[in-house]
Amino acid sequence: MKKFIDESWLVLTMGIAFAALLAGAQTTWQGKIRENQAKALNLAVAEVVPAMDAEQERETLDIDGNTVFKCRAADGSLAGWAVQASGGGFIDKINVVVGISPDGSEIIGVKVVSHLETPGLGNKIERVEGNPFPYQFDGKSTATPFALTKQTPATDSEIQAITGATYSSQYTMDIVNDVLTRIVPQLPKE
Amino acid sequence: MAAETGNLEQFKTGILDNNPVLVQLLGMCPALAVTNSVENALVMGGAATFVVVMSNLITSLLRNLIKPHVRILIFTLTIATFVTIADLFLKAYLFKVSQAIGAFIPLIIVNCMIICRAEVVAIKNGVGKSLADAFGIGIGFTLSLLTLGIIREILGSGTFLNYQVLPKTVWDTHAWIIMILPPGAFLTLGVVVGVVNYMRERGKVGA
Amino acid sequence: MEFIAILLSVVLVNNLVFQGFLGICPFLGVSRKVDMAFGMGCAVTFVITMAGAITWIIMHLILHPIAGNMFGDKLALNFLQYVAFIMVIASMVQLVEMYLKKFFPPLYTSLGVFLPLITTNCAILGACLYIYMKPETQSFLNALTYAFGGGIGFMIAIVIMAGIREHLLFSDVPKPFRGAGITLLVAGILALAFTGFTGIGK
Repeated sequence: MKKFIDESWLVLTMGIAFAALLAGAQTTWQGKIRENQAKALNLAVAEVVPAMDAEQERETLDIDGNTVFKCRAADGSLAGWAVQASGGGFIDKINVVVGISPDGSEIIGVKVVSHLETPGLGNKIERVEGNPFPYQFDGKSTATPFALTKQTPATDSEIQAITGATYSSQYTMDIVNDVLTRIVPQLPKE
Repeated sequence: MAAETGNLEQFKTGILDNNPVLVQLLGMCPALAVTNSVENALVMGGAATFVVVMSNLITSLLRNLIKPHVRILIFTLTIATFVTIADLFLKAYLFKVSQAIGAFIPLIIVNCMIICRAEVVAIKNGVGKSLADAFGIGIGFTLSLLTLGIIREILGSGTFLNYQVLPKTVWDTHAWIIMILPPGAFLTLGVVVGVVNYMRERGKVGA
Repeated sequence: MEFIAILLSVVLVNNLVFQGFLGICPFLGVSRKVDMAFGMGCAVTFVITMAGAITWIIMHLILHPIAGNMFGDKLALNFLQYVAFIMVIASMVQLVEMYLKKFFPPLYTSLGVFLPLITTNCAILGACLYIYMKPETQSFLNALTYAFGGGIGFMIAIVIMAGIREHLLFSDVPKPFRGAGITLLVAGILALAFTGFTGIGK
């Protein structure tokens, strides 16, 4: 027993000390981390439902496991729905917010909130200027799921893949299609 | 490494003669994984430097208490703790970057460069020398990541820190996509290691 | 079918070494001879599978429930994740080390210092973390398949590399590129070849 204590007291003490240190760091920064995440989400929601008024109260629903925000315009009318969704990417999950029009018939916009796709290629799924890919979804009907093409799209339900990043395009589109087929039909009618 | 080398020497050797990535070939995984852009390389270098400094500090303070066969356990415990702290810090204050390279930060734990410094230097030397060594190694590591990051970002995306430096029209159609993909990382590092060897050989002959 | 998809994906398409840059140090360090590389591959496969299973249990059956009961948020204790994972891996490696020392002394001596360094093989920690992050490996059996496949992928990579390096001995490589330089260039070409697998499994 004495030998055991002799050999391991340092490991045990250090384990306890470090756990306390980590708990301290976690509690100190947790608020800030949550704030960052909430801010990123709010920005994304505001981008995919531009008619939304930040002052209006936002209702949060849970539809089939996905978080859906019911966003209102300044006059209190329904501005649109923002559906949070995620799916597998190349390395890590791709987290997306999809903006849907009030009657559920149209996509307003698609914004990738976080991802770990290859910089320079897969990261062209980000909704920033110069990346045409995510803007292709804007204004499209929610009636038919999308299909990926490598050429210039022939029909409205085709999405052109990013050159060199067909997979990242596919993953992102799959998430949007999942929202269309699973969540959109369940959106409550107003 | 002679025991009587001064702190300054210890600091310099980490940057040049004992450069962890280019000469000792340690810590290769992050060197390959996050160097597709300059920004990622800088943050990874900074985080790894913080961890190697803290781990060398703790190991060197406790060096007389650590029993030989539990030392690996203690090293990894220390490193894992400070990596978690670095990870939380990045999430709190550099949220954007942490989203970009978040998955690679925990891999600093298994960066053999750090455990190697604890084993080779910190457990045998005083705090001053261990710290000098840690800063040298950290800076050497950051510089080599930066070199790779610059080459790969310019050739692969035609940008430097996200500013377009090569003509965009050419790079939109003829980019060396391969440079930002995994094979480009191996090829770039192979060439850089070769060039560094060549220069070290020549330096020796000249002197 | 799902298992095959996960296995193919992690062995060929998303090979931990060539696509994920994990486990590069042993990949370069222990790839001089094929039999040594094979031994290393087996040891890593064993550790990765065991560690994958145990870390899954730690996250889903210990940390999440405890955090859920104590703080009402099942992710509240996730800051202990890295420390817990690395401790599991370190103990698994210790186990393998003792086992090899007792039953396969020649392999034990030839692996030498690289054996304890399996702890710092980032393929193992990386695979465990990916299992926790990926949506398709949240069930226990899928996680186990992914971990096992990760080990096999590592083994394939390191054995191919060793095979090539045995032949490299006889070729006239420019002096500055001997050793690490040419090995990395070969690895680059191999990675290029593995890029060709993209498209399988989808």
